[in-house]
Amino acid sequence: MRNLTGPKENTWCIGCGDFGILAAVRKTIQALNEAGTPLADIVMTAGIGCHGKIFDYLQMSGIYGLHGRAVATASGIKLANPKLKVITFGGDGDSLGEGLEHTMFAAKRNMDITLILHNNGNYGLTTGQASPLSTLGFKGPTTPMGNVEKSFTPVTLMMEAGASFVARCYSARIDHLSQILHQAINHKGFSFIEVLQPCVSYNNTYNLYNERCQIKEDMPTDEEEARRIAKSEDPIYLGIYRLEDRPVYHEQINIEGEPLTLAQRKALLQEHS
Amino acid sequence: MNSKIYSVLIGGKAGEGVKKAAQVIANLAAKHHLYTFQTDDYQSLIRGGHNFSLISIASERVFNTYEKADLIVSFDKRSVLRHLDDMAVDALHFCNEGDSDDPRAIPLPLSALMKEHYKETAHISLAAVAIFAALCEISLSALQDIIKVEFKRQVEENIAYASAIYAIIKERFPQPQMSLDLTANPPAKIYSGNQMIALGAYAAGLDYYYGYPMTPASSILHYLARIRDSHGVHAIHAESELAAINMAIGSVFAGRRSAVGSSGGGFALMEEAYSLAGMVEAPLLCVLSSRPGPATGVATFTGQEDLYFALNQGHGEFARIVASPDCFERAFSLAAELLDLAWECQSPTILLTEKHLSEGLINVDLPLDEVPPLFENKAAFTEPYLRYAITESGISPLKFPGADHCDEEDIIKWNSNEHEECGVRTDEAPNIVAMRDKRDRKYETIAKATKKYQRIAKYGQDGPIVFAYGSTALELREAQKYLPFQIVVPIYLEPFPFEELEEYQNAEVIVVEHASHANFARFLKEKLDVKVKANILRYDGRHFATQELVQKLKEAFDA
Repeated sequence: MRNLTGPKENTWCIGCGDFGILAAVRKTIQALNEAGTPLADIVMTAGIGCHGKIFDYLQMSGIYGLHGRAVATASGIKLANPKLKVITFGGDGDSLGEGLEHTMFAAKRNMDITLILHNNGNYGLTTGQASPLSTLGFKGPTTPMGNVEKSFTPVTLMMEAGASFVARCYSARIDHLSQILHQAINHKGFSFIEVLQPCVSYNNTYNLYNERCQIKEDMPTDEEEARRIAKSEDPIYLGIYRLEDRPVYHEQINIEGEPLTLAQRKALLQEHS
Repeated sequence: MNSKIYSVLIGGKAGEGVKKAAQVIANLAAKHHLYTFQTDDYQSLIRGGHNFSLISIASERVFNTYEKADLIVSFDKRSVLRHLDDMAVDALHFCNEGDSDDPRAIPLPLSALMKEHYKETAHISLAAVAIFAALCEISLSALQDIIKVEFKRQVEENIAYASAIYAIIKERFPQPQMSLDLTANPPAKIYSGNQMIALGAYAAGLDYYYGYPMTPASSILHYLARIRDSHGVHAIHAESELAAINMAIGSVFAGRRSAVGSSGGGFALMEEAYSLAGMVEAPLLCVLSSRPGPATGVATFTGQEDLYFALNQGHGEFARIVASPDCFERAFSLAAELLDLAWECQSPTILLTEKHLSEGLINVDLPLDEVPPLFENKAAFTEPYLRYAITESGISPLKFPGADHCDEEDIIKWNSNEHEECGVRTDEAPNIVAMRDKRDRKYETIAKATKKYQRIAKYGQDGPIVFAYGSTALELREAQKYLPFQIVVPIYLEPFPFEELEEYQNAEVIVVEHASHANFARFLKEKLDVKVKANILRYDGRHFATQELVQKLKEAFDA
């Protein structure tokens, strides 16, 4: 298999949680490839932010698109070629701020793509402003007196929106992340993984996560339990919150087959006009 | 009324089926050797208000409507009152009994007949079709046949009701109001401008159309959704225009011909991604169907305020392609061309039009022979594959993920950041310049590519020179029946077809457009240094009625 690491100099901060995500993604893609998925059939999209730099560090095809729009771009790829496995990387500002609508609608439609949400609780690349997932009181350049907005809970938000696979991982638990990611990519439907990702420069949460994160091996027994434990701040439960079988969008709207040739189109138009 | 243009006006409340009745009348006319042109004047509401449709009907081609109607059918009091002054000499204006005491209006027992023939209430507007058929030498059986196709619900009752009205009219007006010229052979099928755009793009390989409803572009989305199963094309109603265009860029990355469309407001939302299309070199057809702005503006009316908005769409510097169809046939052929040019030049293209064309209806043949062959880039791929390989033409050959031409080693990276040949991000000065220069070489490539198409249109040989673009050319062509002048229309606006228009440099011209700022005149001055003798502007959302435009042109010519 080809080397998945690109030649581009890595400019993430030393200790950035994104390194863990990159390592887990590489591991997963290798495993998928070994299990028979051609590399040419896996593509990615990324938004803009620290998370998006993964596009340059991962030797995979895809679109490094606009801030907030990576999920929409990924949806368009999937609709045009359902054979492709599409992985989307989004930041918390990117996928839950600027582009929240696309994230909600991809979940609602059960679009068959995987969204990896790099949750670092702030806007890292633009010097640490509060994000939709910043904690109350978070101080950044736009909130010098402290953030007064309550954070979303990504897991319950996506459950409500209709994601058929919902999980939470931690960037420092690479094996766990890789294993969940493998399941997510193979899951037929919209897969959402919130990855807790410490930002060493503006929101260093390593100590907090190392203390509180707890891998939950069993799935919650029901949706109510899932919602309850998703909100728990101590321990913070890692694992799969929802895994359900639901019809996917591209199959429901009958996307299949090769496009018609121009001659076939002309014949159809002659017949109908 | 032989060999003249017969004008029909149908008016009533929204929800009464005014537009539908007008469409069926036009259909019936088209099936009886007649040319038609229809436009609908309606408001942004679902029930009530006042809607009316105008249809011009003739034995020769007709491109616009007239201010005075020969036949008016009003379905409510407001319509009767409002259109009493729109009657031509000898016009017949029918209304429902009790809706008017005016001696010019002819009351018919429409409600009484409905009670007699229907168990439940039905659309009163069917009456207009029956009146038209009876007045225009169209047989009762032809009327009944079209009812079976167009008014399927309560079909038996519909036939009985329409036949009763037909009999009353035949008895009271035994002389036909318009004779049919049986030698005329117009196209039998009626299409709207938006249908022509949709089908032109489809003919050139459109697979995916992404949009979000916004008048007057919505009917492209509706029409393609409707023909999905019969034609194998997908129309996706996204959560927003932002989603629509970003999805479309994803679809072209995966190798499928895609398009988006909206009106000004929705197009403004698409603007950032339009710039993305320029940067990643995404082949994407974008339809911009204008209405009066700014902001929400006047939702269901026509305008041409968005010329510079289209020309300057997207932030940053990159080559653009903008063209505007001047007639229904061109709406089809231009949509096909612009989709193919997008793929040939790996650039977004804009088809700029306006409500008057988008929602106007005409009987027209699809110009299927004008569809360009599917563009194929025959240049060899670099080894290893580089998405943004530096080339002389500025065009780098495209590979699509998962396609047969890809192997395990191929990496196809499209990047919204400035990038190296392989598609990874760069901040390095020499790389920035090299990639910018590559893209800028596309200006020349695009200019050359557009030359294989008809980039301007001219109508008429003598008299003063009148410039217009878009559907304003249709209004002028109808006016030309009464006044000699030359119409010059740039179909392509960017790149500007200078070679074809060079002869008009410094010429004295009259410019007609639907904008208050005379943007098109400014554009022509910039490009050709024309001397604008007069601007004829209309910016109340309405198209020019024919005689009104003739009058304005006369004044301009004589000034």
